[in-house]
Amino acid sequence: MHTTRRGHIPWLALAYMAPALVLFTVFSFLPFARAIQLSLFLVDRNTFEPAKWFGLGYYQRILNVGDTALGDEWLRSIVTTFQFTLMVVPLTLILALGLALLASAKVKGIGVYRTIFTSSLAISLASAGVIWSLFYSPSLKLFDHVLTDAATALPAVAAMTIWTSLGFAFIILLAGLKAIPKDLWESARIDGANAWTTFWRVTLPLLTPTLLFLLITSTIGAFQAFTQFKVLIDSVGPDGSTNVLVFALFTAFWTENNYGFAAALSVVLFALLLVLSLAQYCFDGRVHYQ
Amino acid sequence: MKALPWKLAGLYAGLTLAATLILLPLLFALSIAVQGDTVSPRLVPDFSRLDPSAFVQVFQKEPLMARWILNSWVVSLTVTAGQLLVSLLAAYPLALFRFRGRTFFFFLFLASLMIPWESTILPNYLTIAKWGWKDSYQALIVPFLASGFGIFLLRQALLVVPHELEEAAVLEGCGHGRFLWSILVPLIKPALATLAIWAFLNTWNQYYWPLLVIDHSEWRTTQVGITAFRSSEIASFNLPMAATLIVLAPTLLVLFLGQRQLVEGLTAGAVKG
Repeated sequence: MHTTRRGHIPWLALAYMAPALVLFTVFSFLPFARAIQLSLFLVDRNTFEPAKWFGLGYYQRILNVGDTALGDEWLRSIVTTFQFTLMVVPLTLILALGLALLASAKVKGIGVYRTIFTSSLAISLASAGVIWSLFYSPSLKLFDHVLTDAATALPAVAAMTIWTSLGFAFIILLAGLKAIPKDLWESARIDGANAWTTFWRVTLPLLTPTLLFLLITSTIGAFQAFTQFKVLIDSVGPDGSTNVLVFALFTAFWTENNYGFAAALSVVLFALLLVLSLAQYCFDGRVHYQ
Repeated sequence: MKALPWKLAGLYAGLTLAATLILLPLLFALSIAVQGDTVSPRLVPDFSRLDPSAFVQVFQKEPLMARWILNSWVVSLTVTAGQLLVSLLAAYPLALFRFRGRTFFFFLFLASLMIPWESTILPNYLTIAKWGWKDSYQALIVPFLASGFGIFLLRQALLVVPHELEEAAVLEGCGHGRFLWSILVPLIKPALATLAIWAFLNTWNQYYWPLLVIDHSEWRTTQVGITAFRSSEIASFNLPMAATLIVLAPTLLVLFLGQRQLVEGLTAGAVKG
């Protein structure tokens, strides 16, 4: 009924896919092409149209090539993003793995604990930001000035981010644990392996694909972080210490109306995330064929 | 294997400690919310003088709060319904038709997953501004009606539909619309439910985009709204915390009701057991 022979124009298939194709074209593909175009021009602030060819000028500025008088503000933004990612991702994975191991026990009432461990999945970054901003507020005298000190501001935002990221990492790891065949643990136990050896020799190697999946998705998430910085800090941070890439993009676009520059930052963000996505496909292929 | 009693006690201690730490920020928010209009709240409230009036005052001090909640519901439900429909329609031919260019379209949809929303946010903002869509529901809804994740999730679910079913449907003289609606949709209900929960949570929790395209406060969604409670004109802490908890309630409810569904659907793709 619905098998169009090869060579025919697939009108029916196109009709079904049309809404998605139109939406992606209008809100993803064309805007992305537009971002690339704008990133090569000086852009008129009123008409939003490209006004004068600027070549790779913005990219040179971001990567701090050539004119050093401008400082390394933008390169630093990329470095800050990496630092933030390094603070968030490993700790999220380790903590979530601990939670998943605890919650994989089949004991009475475990469902309640699992629900609690998953709960942060439903908590938005904005709500978490509002709660944690009070946590960090000087009037509470709990963590005075962590957000105004250049040394602690980024870790403070990272701590909040870890809390909101735990839920997703937890459910994925719990499912990964459940997928490990029971007889593998059983035979490890018969061989006289203790819990520690079993974890390192059996559980962890079998969880590697799941951990890699989470490593990449959490890294991509951390690279796109914006809301927590806007709600908790709402500036480049003490000594510019929390000016991550997407916040820098927001400032260039929203505060400074420097559309061409913001577009160039968008393209840089895309390139960084593309590398990560490609890494995921490579890992995926390698791990599953083992 | 029966666990030793002390081992079991240790396990419960560990679980309870972890659960307490995870719930701590929420308990903290609740504690602050019921301490009344004080500028120096304590970590643990005075249980003899609990004051839950903040949950009502939120709506009086900020008359638009109810409107923001309505906005969030309208936007989240519409986007969820739209993503289900658009993804289902696109996934149907991708999974079950054989046509020239199918691989091309497959990769085209895959490419949409590769372009992060943050990279297109500037041109998208300019588009919305040019169309005069700022401060409107359509600005908050239309850009999110298609979801690459949704298309792949549903395509994956449709791929396992047995061929005999299609042949039977053909013999019965069943048209595409009826085949899709009365036979396929019930079959892939779990995947549809997963997508619905995922779409609802993500849309309800959006912050960046509503912040950009909304100037007039009556069009705000709850996420942008609650951050306004921290502004200087409201100095107390109980109101922002109460507002945040009110806004968290729907998503927590959706997660608790749909947790099992969501976990199964999400992990089907992530974990190849």
